[in-house]
Amino acid sequence: MSNILTVLIFFPLIAAILGLFVNQKSIRVYGITVAAAEFLLSLWLWVSYDNSVAGMQFVEKLKLIPEFGISYYLGVDGISLFIVIMATLMTLIGIIALSVKDNLKNMIITLLFLEVAMVGVFVSLDVILFYVFWEFSLVPMLYIIGAWGGDKRLYASIKFFIYTFAGSLVMLVGILYVGYAYYSTTGVWSFSLTDWYGLILPFSVQKYLFWAFFLGFAIKVPMVPFHTWLPYAHGQAPTVGSVILAAVLLKMGSYGFVRFSLPLFPDASVAYITPVVIIAIIMIIYTAMVAYAQKDIKQVIAYSSISHMGIIVLGTFAMNVEGIAGSVFQMLSHGIVSGALFLLVGAIYDRRHTKLLSEFGGIAKVMPNFATIFVIMTMASVGLPLTIGFIGEYLSLLGFFKVSPVLTVIAGTSIILGAVYMLSIVKKTFFGPLTNPENEKLTDLNAKELTALIPLVAIVVWLGIYPKPVLGPINNSTKALVQLMHKKSITPKAQEIILVSKDKGVNK
Amino acid sequence: MTIGLTHYLVLSAILFSVGLAGVLRRKNLLMLFFATEIMLNAANVAFAAISVHIGDLSGQMFALFIMAVAASEVAVGLGLLILIYKKYGTLNLDNFSIMKG
Amino acid sequence: MENYVYIALFAPLVSSLFAALFAQKPKIQLVGIVTSLLIGIALFASVILFMNIEETGKAVSVTLMDWIVVGDMDTKFGFSVDQVTVVMMTVVTLISTVVHIYSNYYMESDKSFNRFFSYLSAFVFSMMILVMSDNFLGLFIGWEGVGVCSWLLIGFWYEKKDETRDVNPSISPSWAANEAFIMNRIADLGMLVGIFLIYWNLGTFKYTEVFAHIGDLSHTMLIGIGIALFIGAMGKSAQFPLHTWLADAMEGPTPVSALIHAATMVTAGVYLVIRANPLYSQIPEVGYGIAVLGTFVAIFAASMALVNRDLKRVIAYSTLSQLGYMFAAAGLGAYWVALFHLAAHAAFKALLFIGAGNVMHAMHDELDMFKMGGLKKVMGWTFLYMGIGSLALSGIYPFAGFFSKDTILEVAFNEHTYGIWFILWLTAGLTAFYSFRQVFLVFFGDERYHEIGAHPHEAKPYALWAMAPLAVAAVVVGFFKEDFVEFVTKFLPEYEMSEHTEHMVVILTIITTLVALTGIVVAYLKYAKGLKRNLEFEQNNKLYKLLYNQYYIPVIYDRVFAKPYKELSDIAWKEIDMQVVDASVDGIAKFVEKSGDVSRKAQNGNLSSYLNWMAAGLVIIIVIAAIAVAVQ
Repeated sequence: MSNILTVLIFFPLIAAILGLFVNQKSIRVYGITVAAAEFLLSLWLWVSYDNSVAGMQFVEKLKLIPEFGISYYLGVDGISLFIVIMATLMTLIGIIALSVKDNLKNMIITLLFLEVAMVGVFVSLDVILFYVFWEFSLVPMLYIIGAWGGDKRLYASIKFFIYTFAGSLVMLVGILYVGYAYYSTTGVWSFSLTDWYGLILPFSVQKYLFWAFFLGFAIKVPMVPFHTWLPYAHGQAPTVGSVILAAVLLKMGSYGFVRFSLPLFPDASVAYITPVVIIAIIMIIYTAMVAYAQKDIKQVIAYSSISHMGIIVLGTFAMNVEGIAGSVFQMLSHGIVSGALFLLVGAIYDRRHTKLLSEFGGIAKVMPNFATIFVIMTMASVGLPLTIGFIGEYLSLLGFFKVSPVLTVIAGTSIILGAVYMLSIVKKTFFGPLTNPENEKLTDLNAKELTALIPLVAIVVWLGIYPKPVLGPINNSTKALVQLMHKKSITPKAQEIILVSKDKGVNK
Repeated sequence: MTIGLTHYLVLSAILFSVGLAGVLRRKNLLMLFFATEIMLNAANVAFAAISVHIGDLSGQMFALFIMAVAASEVAVGLGLLILIYKKYGTLNLDNFSIMKG
Repeated sequence: MENYVYIALFAPLVSSLFAALFAQKPKIQLVGIVTSLLIGIALFASVILFMNIEETGKAVSVTLMDWIVVGDMDTKFGFSVDQVTVVMMTVVTLISTVVHIYSNYYMESDKSFNRFFSYLSAFVFSMMILVMSDNFLGLFIGWEGVGVCSWLLIGFWYEKKDETRDVNPSISPSWAANEAFIMNRIADLGMLVGIFLIYWNLGTFKYTEVFAHIGDLSHTMLIGIGIALFIGAMGKSAQFPLHTWLADAMEGPTPVSALIHAATMVTAGVYLVIRANPLYSQIPEVGYGIAVLGTFVAIFAASMALVNRDLKRVIAYSTLSQLGYMFAAAGLGAYWVALFHLAAHAAFKALLFIGAGNVMHAMHDELDMFKMGGLKKVMGWTFLYMGIGSLALSGIYPFAGFFSKDTILEVAFNEHTYGIWFILWLTAGLTAFYSFRQVFLVFFGDERYHEIGAHPHEAKPYALWAMAPLAVAAVVVGFFKEDFVEFVTKFLPEYEMSEHTEHMVVILTIITTLVALTGIVVAYLKYAKGLKRNLEFEQNNKLYKLLYNQYYIPVIYDRVFAKPYKELSDIAWKEIDMQVVDASVDGIAKFVEKSGDVSRKAQNGNLSSYLNWMAAGLVIIIVIAAIAVAVQ
């Protein structure tokens, strides 16, 4: 099947529209079936993916507006492949674990629309198409938070929408400018990313464009100080919203850095390593501290997300294969782990209708399976070796160590501070005497929740022990990316920092 | 002294200013109509003069076009005025502020 | 032979998974038996490997599969069993087997019996990875793995609540578990930095390749790597200032203390220094620093053990002190001496802890030695075992400690580091004193346990039998010193005493034994006849209070690190995040809203004022256009 990516995008869209005619009773089964079929499709994508090729695969190109070089242009490589699979997986798991009662039909249809947007963002190779999907993803999320959220859902959803939208408008200006620059250099209009990769911009232009794209991505990631929409969004969103927001939507920002900022503006990226990474480090340490101060379990996980995204940004700006591959892997690992943690928090919220830490304590006794899975995910979150969390965090730090040992050591405190806040919530929630009588009649995870969580536990362990099937393609594509950056970089500093291979680096 | 382009343009500018002053100062809707007609005709004068000056007929065509539009505008506008007067009994602008934000 | 490597490595994993199957079920005796058997199989495989390596002198290496392959990094799950590894393996599996069997007794009435064995076996698996791995990254897996298992096991009785006890502002098993994990994480950061330095300078993690090229690096770089790795070692081996977790870890079940916090995990740091001996031989100045720190910890921990009344904490401090001895030896370049002391110490310290476990069981979990006394009558065997352990710890001939500890003192003398020698010598006296203070307080004197209504009883026979191998080891290990040296120096550098030291050996031995005997005699005079407390002294003597309160270090850490961090976090959230960052975002939104409110007044609905605005706009546009034209 040569146009599998088109199927991957439009299958949920058609299914969502058809879903309008499915009756209320069978909508859950319908949703699970569609999401499962979509997930299997994405797995098929992986199976037919050729590991030996580093470039784009399953490419489809159809001219939409030839006058302006805008086309329907899709393709995946090792960097995007697994994020796509994760998006379909987390949608499936989100639908399986869905616990909303009212308007279930609307929720499932919205989730399918969201899936269209998520898959579309990661497989688009045309920048305008990418931008359309990027903005489109806001709408279902706005609806999910605004319709099924908590008490302050309107405030949270509007804040989420306007904030990220404002950032992406600045990015749109950047996109148009790069398109214009491409036109003035080559004489033809093109918005396809692979064409843009060949464009070498002067540094004076790169620096403005870098910050324009940076603002769009940084708000999405979210980087400090643009992060305050996230705690509200997570705090108000229903469980499935938080799961998808943390697992996939945030990755759009960090994916943007890897896919756009680095290869399009390699010299500017190298020139601004220090400010960007200082922001990343502030993000890592500051949000880890804020997470420790939270009184609400879900907020702890929300802030910990920001802290982990800091590691991803750090790895991305390492400018070597180890760091970038590590940060891409960390995107997957953070998606799986934080998704699972949000599901777990959702499970307890469904039972007690509170997420306040002070309400809990000692519930390991009544909910042993819940506690076990939570602890496994905690350990993955703090980056224990042989769990998925270690590899990405370790490689990101290792990669950046080449650029600046001192900053890496400061950023490395995340392994300490991460343990501080995660273990402190584990202790406050699960350990100690069971004092609150409300908690005594809590029931352990039910079959539905276990079905959603056990695959995630399996992935956490499997990719921790044997990451090669995933890390291999990521590694190949990252190598190609770094080679491209190295080839097109023009400033001497970028030539020096962008490290294709250690043997060719400065040290040997 | 021959009458050149400048004179026509000055006339046009004066007419336009008269019209503009009328638009700004008059409170009666009917008077406003007259003022706008004056401004339109100011434009017509300028169009025709420039058209002659550069030897291109499209300016005069435009002037005719504006006349046609102005005529139809007056036709519709006066009809509306009559309706407004019937409904409110006045044509004073200050009485119509239903679009207040 | 490769198969034995796999058996030794994976038998504990199988054991752990088997027990985990029943983790939430009520006690199943079979779980305890099967796990003990499987660990016994690992011991068997280790012994076979030991004999094989003794015969062939060659390391056995296996490579399992790729792990992280990215960029230029190619890390595999590789395991290599050489002389040092096999000594560690044998020590670990021997003590693990004993502790597993013993735990059947100790945990017999615990409702989470199966879960306990799952954790315990998982710990053995991690420890085996730690010692068997052939590269630094594999070591780090084990390093973190034992950390997590230690976290699980310290916090095993998780339902206990936090309380304020003695000097500790708040303590409970789960609190101590978190403390241990977080403190180790601090050290792990150092370890990671060492690993990063190795990677970016040598491009590999494999011990053999790293140490083959270690000479290519600059001296400064070597010092950097050496210090970074040693910071990692400081955490696991609880060296000052990261030592407080070890004493608090005594909140865990006693078999755990015996296995993890005495015999195996805490020696991982020493193992790392021994393993990295080609590195540390190049940087004697760092080695000297390690030795000085080790010496300081030896006396520092011993001083706290002098006055503590908690049975387990005394042994914990003594572990800390003995780890200091090991670091002193390793730092001075006598790697095999450190390894020998490690092995000997593992045997007698585990014996002491298990003995303490028997006492705890007899005393219904009472730990205050001032409430015991006279237990010799009811617990003859335990008394014998703890006596042997204490004699070995004090370094009395012919027990194991005599041979290993004396050699460390000789090394210190031989290196002309007389300061280190003197402090270690003094510590030997203190060690003997506090060990026998413990023995006399628990087993001799008046029977104070009646006051708390305890009915002490001896442990079950199989538990006592399980302790026997350790007791035998504590007695006889010393006589195999020559064989041990011959065996391990095929891998580790030899350490030759100078002629001058050789002459002095007899004198040194005599004065060391004398100070130890003095310690025992003092303890006998003070405690053997029953406890006579001097309350006024305990309350008013500054030194006593300082030692009893662990130099107030737990309080200082709480006030200097824990509390300010919490307060700072609160400020970061409530003041900065909410009041500054989020408020400015909302401020922008409010500004837009307010300016809309203001400009809304322009839309008054009056057509003539609209027309005025329109005209004004027109004028502005014309002016701008005119200016633009004029500028061009």
